[in-house]
Amino acid sequence: MIPLFYVLVVSTLLFALGVYGALLSTNAIRILMSIEMILNAVNLNLVGFGRYITPSDPRGQIFAIFVMTVAAAEAAVGLAIILVIARRYGAAAIDRVRMLKG
Amino acid sequence: MIEQAWIIAIIPIVAWLIIFLFAKALKEKVAYVGILAMGISLLLSVLTFSEALGGTVEKSFPWAVVGDIKIPVGFQVDPLTAVMLLVITIVSLMVQIYSVGYMHGDVRYAKYYAIVSLFSAAMLGLVLANNFFWLVLSWEIMGLSSYLLISHWYEKPEAAAAGMKAFITTRIGDIGLLLGTIMLFVYTHSFEFNVIAEKIHAGEINQGIVTVAALLVFAGGVGKSAQFPLHVWLPDAMAGPTPGSALIHAATMVAAGVYLVARAYGIFVATPYALFWVALIGGFTALFAATIATVMTDIKKVLAYSTVSQLGYMMLGLGAGSYTAGIFHLMTHAFFKSLLFLGSGSVIHAVHSQEMHEMGGLRKKLPITYWTFLIGTAALAGIPPFSGFWSKDEILLAAYRSPYPVLFWMGVATAGLTAYYMTRAVILTFFGQPRDHHKYEHAHESPPVMTVPLVILATLAAVSGLPGSPFLHNAFGEFVKFGHGHEAEPSSFVMIIAISAALLGVLAGVAIYGYKVISREKAIRSWRPLYLVLKNKYYVDEFYMAIFVRGTVLLAEIVGFFDRYIIDGLVNLVGWLGMQLSFLSGLFDKYVIDGMVNGVAAITMALGNSARRLQTGFVQSYAITLFAGVVIGLILIQLIGG
Amino acid sequence: MNLQLLAFMILSLVTLGAAFKVITARFITHAALYLALSFVGVAGLFLLLNADFLAAVQLLVYVGAITTMLIFAVMLSQVEEIRQGAAEEGFWRRILSARFGVIPLAVAAALAGVILYLYRFANWKAVPVAPDPNTTRSIGQAMFTTYLIPFEVASLVLLVAMIGAIVLTMKKEDRSR
Repeated sequence: MIPLFYVLVVSTLLFALGVYGALLSTNAIRILMSIEMILNAVNLNLVGFGRYITPSDPRGQIFAIFVMTVAAAEAAVGLAIILVIARRYGAAAIDRVRMLKG
Repeated sequence: MIEQAWIIAIIPIVAWLIIFLFAKALKEKVAYVGILAMGISLLLSVLTFSEALGGTVEKSFPWAVVGDIKIPVGFQVDPLTAVMLLVITIVSLMVQIYSVGYMHGDVRYAKYYAIVSLFSAAMLGLVLANNFFWLVLSWEIMGLSSYLLISHWYEKPEAAAAGMKAFITTRIGDIGLLLGTIMLFVYTHSFEFNVIAEKIHAGEINQGIVTVAALLVFAGGVGKSAQFPLHVWLPDAMAGPTPGSALIHAATMVAAGVYLVARAYGIFVATPYALFWVALIGGFTALFAATIATVMTDIKKVLAYSTVSQLGYMMLGLGAGSYTAGIFHLMTHAFFKSLLFLGSGSVIHAVHSQEMHEMGGLRKKLPITYWTFLIGTAALAGIPPFSGFWSKDEILLAAYRSPYPVLFWMGVATAGLTAYYMTRAVILTFFGQPRDHHKYEHAHESPPVMTVPLVILATLAAVSGLPGSPFLHNAFGEFVKFGHGHEAEPSSFVMIIAISAALLGVLAGVAIYGYKVISREKAIRSWRPLYLVLKNKYYVDEFYMAIFVRGTVLLAEIVGFFDRYIIDGLVNLVGWLGMQLSFLSGLFDKYVIDGMVNGVAAITMALGNSARRLQTGFVQSYAITLFAGVVIGLILIQLIGG
Repeated sequence: MNLQLLAFMILSLVTLGAAFKVITARFITHAALYLALSFVGVAGLFLLLNADFLAAVQLLVYVGAITTMLIFAVMLSQVEEIRQGAAEEGFWRRILSARFGVIPLAVAAALAGVILYLYRFANWKAVPVAPDPNTTRSIGQAMFTTYLIPFEVASLVLLVAMIGAIVLTMKKEDRSR
């Protein structure tokens, strides 16, 4: 059996990559992808813990399913927002949209 | 019926909802919805009352439980509640019927009825509540509907300002009530009146704490019942529609403060000190407002100050130790004061003016209004056998038997003044020669929909004192009493003093305004300083303006000054320079007073300019900060929490 | 080294490598395809962790739906810059700048470091019970009993998201201009 720590290492690295991508990219769609990666890392964590700590109970996997639901919703709305921004400002380049500026 | 008494409060809410939802479709038919609902409520109240003669009911169950805080929902019907239910439903029904005529053609007719229904529901809920939580809730809804009704014609700036003033002024008292409620909850772990009273009675709570809590609760009553020093809102509240004023600002809502003290009487009797303050504030307000009422020329203002004065009377009765007297006067006052208000509304409706100096001689034009108004005046002035006489007599008796003779003489003086200014109002309005012939010619008696409520209320104003009179062996006192009821022995001395004070007032009014034995103009001239003080209502408004409004502005300036020093080190060089500049200009402005505001604005701008550097607008910059915060937080948890 | 561990290593490498390429790929369409690959890797890891149902869902939802939606959105977009995805400079050039390179890298690395450091000291007791052989069945049962309300809420969330996305992207006839 694979040690739990290995799974956690993989999920942490995937999480960090997602964070890095989200912070780094200037393309809104790529940021969206990075966020999906972060959510996947979380799912991996949930399933890993579920497998090793509560093997007789599917709650870890059920949580992961809910995360997926929310991720799907988030992707759809996120994409819609990006398209609206793009239509309006002519670019998906998020660094040009600075409406949050003080 | 008594077991389901809560339905009484639900019916007007349903009416409110219906009016609110179908206002467009129903148009002026909304009045029937409100009247029907109130009629049913009145019927149920009568049933409840008859059952309450047999015994009291209290029902309660936990509504929300948060940790060890239990919020109950419950109601109780005891004699106090039963009487209040009757008073509220009768007055509300009369006012709503009357409003059909008075508000006819108003731009916000449906809104008016919606608010009156909402208000009635809140007031009924208030008297049914058996705990402070629901009391405060109803209390706030009442405050809201009062505000909405005062600023009903919000196009008029004075109506909007009056609404605001009422809201803010009563809020000061409401904070006291809220704090008192919380304090009582902290020390007794209960919201329910009976539980709190029992715990205090058992001596579980420190005397000092009970006194502070009682005074805080009383502060709520001071605000709502327009007692000195928070009385300033009530006279201004007359900017609202007259029937609404009759319901809310004369008969019922303003009496809620008195009701509150009565309902929390178990707390008050435990601390003689708090009770003394209730009596003193009440007595002082009674006298104070009565003196102002003697010089007002606006008929509604006279009645408004009279209301303030009479509410002070009730407080005096409660504070002097007679629970029965205070509530008895509340009941009789509700009838005769709503009658007087509706009567004045009928006059205003006829002559389209509130200035008594533009009226005169209206007795022939408005016979029904005149007679009913006269009955109301007799009741208010305390002429036997009308209702006001009996209830005032009881209050004076209680004050006479209390350890503070000053309270009694305050009451007597108020009684005399009351008789005087009401006589003055009646003579100026209904007697003598018409002073404004154009208005006089156009005056005509109101339609039956307005006069019938007047007649009904006049009947009540005439006879509602009898249950408390010796003829019926003080039946009211036997029914509504606190504990075992220890009513003071009747005293013929008090009765004689009360009657002679009232007669003296009436005679003085007739002498000055009827037969002009003493010239009004000459009297004003020789007493000019006093007249001015009264005319300007003792300059209380001006005082508040100077102390609180200007004071707040001054405080803001001081705080602004302080601010400049604090942020000094934080801003960058540009901001700092700008700030210095503003500081200098601020100093300058301090001497040229009206320039001050600009200085503050400049500082804010400079600050904002330097602070906005942080807000780059890049979402990712924010995200970086967020994740960096997570990292730092995790490290800190690891270091500290180990 | 047993076979399971070997499989785990390979899948992990595929997942993380693909994830890295998502960030670095020059074209947005390529990034989307790498994202799909990374998701497939995660699905494989799920299988290794005895979550067979979840692995299938992962393939269907993430690879089948989300990635496809991303690619469609990119390809069908009328905005040139999204379609070509060439709006940004190359990854390796950007990594040297402070805002796009060093600070995010430092933050992400610090995050990973701290989390892993914390994991080392955590003391989770693994329960040595054989895994549920029929995960689909137990998930289904739990989902429609214990987790019924969250399940219904999730469906509502999806509905709202769907309506929201439609409303947002609907072409309005420009009445204002």
